[in-house]
Amino acid sequence: MNLTLKIWRQENAKAKGRFETYKLENISPDCSFLEMLDILNEQLVNKLAHPVCFDNDCREGICGMCGLYINGRPHGPDDGVTTCQLHMRRFKDGDTIVIEPWRAKPFPIIKDLVVDRSAFDKIIQEGGYISVTTGGVPDGNAIPIPKKNADEAMDSAACIGCGACVAACKNASAMLFVSAKVSQLTLLPQGKPEAAKRVQAMVAKMDELGFGNCTNTYACEAECPKSIKRSNIARMNREFICAKVCSEE
Amino acid sequence: MRLVKLASVTKKITIAAVGAFLLVFLPMHMGLNLCIIRDDGGEWYRNVCHFMGTNWIVKIFELVLLACCLLHIVVGVLLTIENYMARPVRYQVPSRTKTHFGSKYMIWTGGLVFCFLVLHFINFYFVKYDLVEGVYTVKTEKLQMHIQDRAMDLQKSFDEGKIGQEELSEKMMGLQMEYLSFFQLMQTGQPAEKLSRDGQELVNLDRKSLEAFVGKDFKDYEPDFYTMCNNLFKDRTYSLIYILALIVLGIHLFHAVNSIFQTFGLNHRKYNGAIEMFAVIYAILIPVGFAVVPFYVMFVR
Repeated sequence: MNLTLKIWRQENAKAKGRFETYKLENISPDCSFLEMLDILNEQLVNKLAHPVCFDNDCREGICGMCGLYINGRPHGPDDGVTTCQLHMRRFKDGDTIVIEPWRAKPFPIIKDLVVDRSAFDKIIQEGGYISVTTGGVPDGNAIPIPKKNADEAMDSAACIGCGACVAACKNASAMLFVSAKVSQLTLLPQGKPEAAKRVQAMVAKMDELGFGNCTNTYACEAECPKSIKRSNIARMNREFICAKVCSEE
Repeated sequence: MRLVKLASVTKKITIAAVGAFLLVFLPMHMGLNLCIIRDDGGEWYRNVCHFMGTNWIVKIFELVLLACCLLHIVVGVLLTIENYMARPVRYQVPSRTKTHFGSKYMIWTGGLVFCFLVLHFINFYFVKYDLVEGVYTVKTEKLQMHIQDRAMDLQKSFDEGKIGQEELSEKMMGLQMEYLSFFQLMQTGQPAEKLSRDGQELVNLDRKSLEAFVGKDFKDYEPDFYTMCNNLFKDRTYSLIYILALIVLGIHLFHAVNSIFQTFGLNHRKYNGAIEMFAVIYAILIPVGFAVVPFYVMFVR
């Protein structure tokens, strides 16, 4: 495959960025998208040019590190996969591929296509956990949990925090991420005692960090590589209303 | 950056709650409008307008409604600005992500509906509060009675000695002339547009003509919204603008109905299908219900 790549290059957070065009030849359709970028970087290094920086780690779709905005879609044209799981057979010979970093005020660019997603960590620090009291190991079946709740909590916990929801949302809202984290804890008895405090604190932090407001376009759900559902957002809204109206916290 | 120190979810709930109130108002407004297509010479519609213009409970709700509209617009604009600021550098390639129908253009459809609302207020609402001049209708039978009343008043004044013989005969003559010209108008139907088809009413009177015909009693007369509607909808351009505005409103409503349930957390696997269906039905039924009136006036009446 022969490809034309238009890639965002930016020296650091403060530098002015620009698009650079690269030509790539003889790329195998069986290459993964990141392998294709590796090939490009090898060629750039051989020419003594700076390689294109992009985030990646496990390359198995489970770590949440990779994330590129490819031709107008986070993680590229496939549904329910991360960038590392995207293969070049999804593109045609002669295609022009535009690669941009996640664009959102709370995700400043570090270099090229790498963005700082520590805003998500800050939201988690506000309540995305349970305060466990240490002691003896409780019996596994001491607290009955409905299978449906356990399944839903597991589905919500599938969120890898890649930030595609923010990147896809026209408002750069982090509601899908925050709601998945709120849901996975609220659905289980261990998360219930801190539910009211958690939802208010996490929403407040999300707002403070400068994420946009949710306008229910559901772009996040469409682009989430882990298929996190918008029902999580509804659940978080419900939790938020209950917390504001009923809770004293 | 937060323009207003309120949680994002609180703002979202505010705009949804206010929007829900507006959704309840629309079918009621549509019901009232549909009275126009009843072929009773506007009797029902005029009664409805009289009720809506004079009942104090309606007046209170009118204020609540205006406040809701204002809040809906203010919060909507605020959210849009905040959301725009959340992405200072835009993507070069426009988003190709599949989104809920109409959801990306709520501020634009909302803005167009607002523009139409301004036109709508100039045409109808401001007329009610006398900020814009409307048209009036007077029953011919009432006019005859009115001239007789004035003649009797003159006679009474003469009897009480308030006016002299000369003034009496002069004014009586004036009244006779008025009656005669009015009688001629009835006979010839000239000018034609002023006389209703059955000859029972003088329609399309502006304020001056009304004053000339009924004297100081003009204050008792309300603008005739029935005639105003018919006049407006006979104008094809206005009807087209009206229908286009309704299509835009329909798009806005489809996402609005869906969105309200989501915002209030009313998302349940059992009912999601029903909610989607309700949104479709509501978003079609309301614009169609409103559009029936211009179509009826243009093609049937």
